[in-house]
Amino acid sequence: MLSRLFEALYNKVLVNIVVKRASFDIYIEILSKKDVVSHLQKSFDTLSVSREMIEYIQSYTKESPYHYIAVLNMSADQGAIVGCEKKKLQEFEEKHAVQYMCHEKKWAHYSDKEAIKMIMKSYKEIGCDYIFSPYSLLVDFFKDKVNGPTAMFVLMQDSFVTLAIFEQGELLYAEHLDMQTSGEYDDEILSQTIENDDNIDFSDQAGIDLEDVSVLDNMEELEDLDDFGDIEDLDSIEEIDEFSENKDLEEEFHDVVEEPSPETESSFNEDYQRFSLIQSALGNYYTDEETESQFIENVYIADGVSMSSDLKRYLEEEMFLNVYIRQTNIGTELAELVKMELSL
Amino acid sequence: MIYSYIKPRKKSIFTEDMQLLVTFFTITLLMLFLTYAFLLYKDYSFTTQKKESLAKQKAVLSHVDKLEGEISKIEEQKNLSEKIFTKNIVLKDSISNLFDLVPVRITLSRAELLENGLILYGITPNKDVYNFMLQAPLRSIFHRTYSSFYPAQNGWLRFVSTNYIDEEEKYIDEK
Repeated sequence: MLSRLFEALYNKVLVNIVVKRASFDIYIEILSKKDVVSHLQKSFDTLSVSREMIEYIQSYTKESPYHYIAVLNMSADQGAIVGCEKKKLQEFEEKHAVQYMCHEKKWAHYSDKEAIKMIMKSYKEIGCDYIFSPYSLLVDFFKDKVNGPTAMFVLMQDSFVTLAIFEQGELLYAEHLDMQTSGEYDDEILSQTIENDDNIDFSDQAGIDLEDVSVLDNMEELEDLDDFGDIEDLDSIEEIDEFSENKDLEEEFHDVVEEPSPETESSFNEDYQRFSLIQSALGNYYTDEETESQFIENVYIADGVSMSSDLKRYLEEEMFLNVYIRQTNIGTELAELVKMELSL
Repeated sequence: MIYSYIKPRKKSIFTEDMQLLVTFFTITLLMLFLTYAFLLYKDYSFTTQKKESLAKQKAVLSHVDKLEGEISKIEEQKNLSEKIFTKNIVLKDSISNLFDLVPVRITLSRAELLENGLILYGITPNKDVYNFMLQAPLRSIFHRTYSSFYPAQNGWLRFVSTNYIDEEEKYIDEK
């Protein structure tokens, strides 16, 4: 009773930390009861938790004892699994030394215990109240779509791609992909390609690779690709009937008319990597014997990195997917998760 | 814990700054209460002392009154004793004078001193000796003098002289 009174007297400070490849994004939201009083964001170009960053966070956390520090789990050793049977999850937990969290008793996401300890150790000085899985963030962000028909949901982060396939709120498949690791792998393959002057066989990934496309010099095939473009438009029209929600349409049309931004070589490579990862993950899903594969038609992407329009184009043209992109600020979404935890 | 892998730390309003503030105020309040308690104690102590002092004062005053009473009584007694002493001296002188008045030829057998008079019993050779040598001086001292004679065996006369001083006249004389 008394604590609730004190809680009402103070503002709540939500500090949300998103770790990027070479920087830390700090998004701070100050709440008075349930209303947002102010919010601010700052990026620190550092590879680890720096003194400057700590002082910046402490300058806000000192304002109120009711401050909550949330971190998005960026470790590579995490994922999501189908089902939420306690016995099965306990076995899985013991086998892989992971910590799991059940989500609405339908599916579970997990993370390596050591990774969680490492995160807590990293933020020892300022403390850590919440460690969220990117899957929680993804599901919360697409909560209006997750309970719909089968679709793939992707969270684009700076160095990770979190991917999940849901059907009516049930998880069918999930992968958490590290761009740095896979990037090295891709670079290796690409270098071998250059050296051997040979095409890479991605047949085992059950998808169409850009490399196959790039070597197409047959005009008929190019015309086919144009036809695919028409298909994409038709799909878009179908979507108008299927998805009455204007938001998706807006998102799609917005991306269609979007002027291509000046692209650097690195962003192109990153988008290519992301495309490869999604393609590979989808291939794994289709070939996975344990899961009952269903044809994926729609892809919902939460774009937290402001990717170029190339990825959307690749996915649409090469994999015949309907791509819906929603721009997102991961820090803001983290704050939303914290609010849900605090029942605000 | 819905989504997070860890539970949030318990939040308390007692931050480092708040602890310092609370400690400061606690010490201040404690000092104020201690001062207040000390003043209360002192006040109580002074009140008690005042009561005791008043009681003592009352007792002393009562004792003083008693002593004053005793002093006045003693003074009265002293005055009385002085008066008696003076009276005794006067009486002694009077008796001495009286015996000086008695001539050699008259023998006193008994003398009774009254408050306002004197009764003398004695033997005189004759009435004339008595009248001239004793009665005359007695008449000068006392206002009323009565004499009676009866013969003795040897031919002398026994006498009883009764002498009185009238109080009113004495008062006039003193004035």
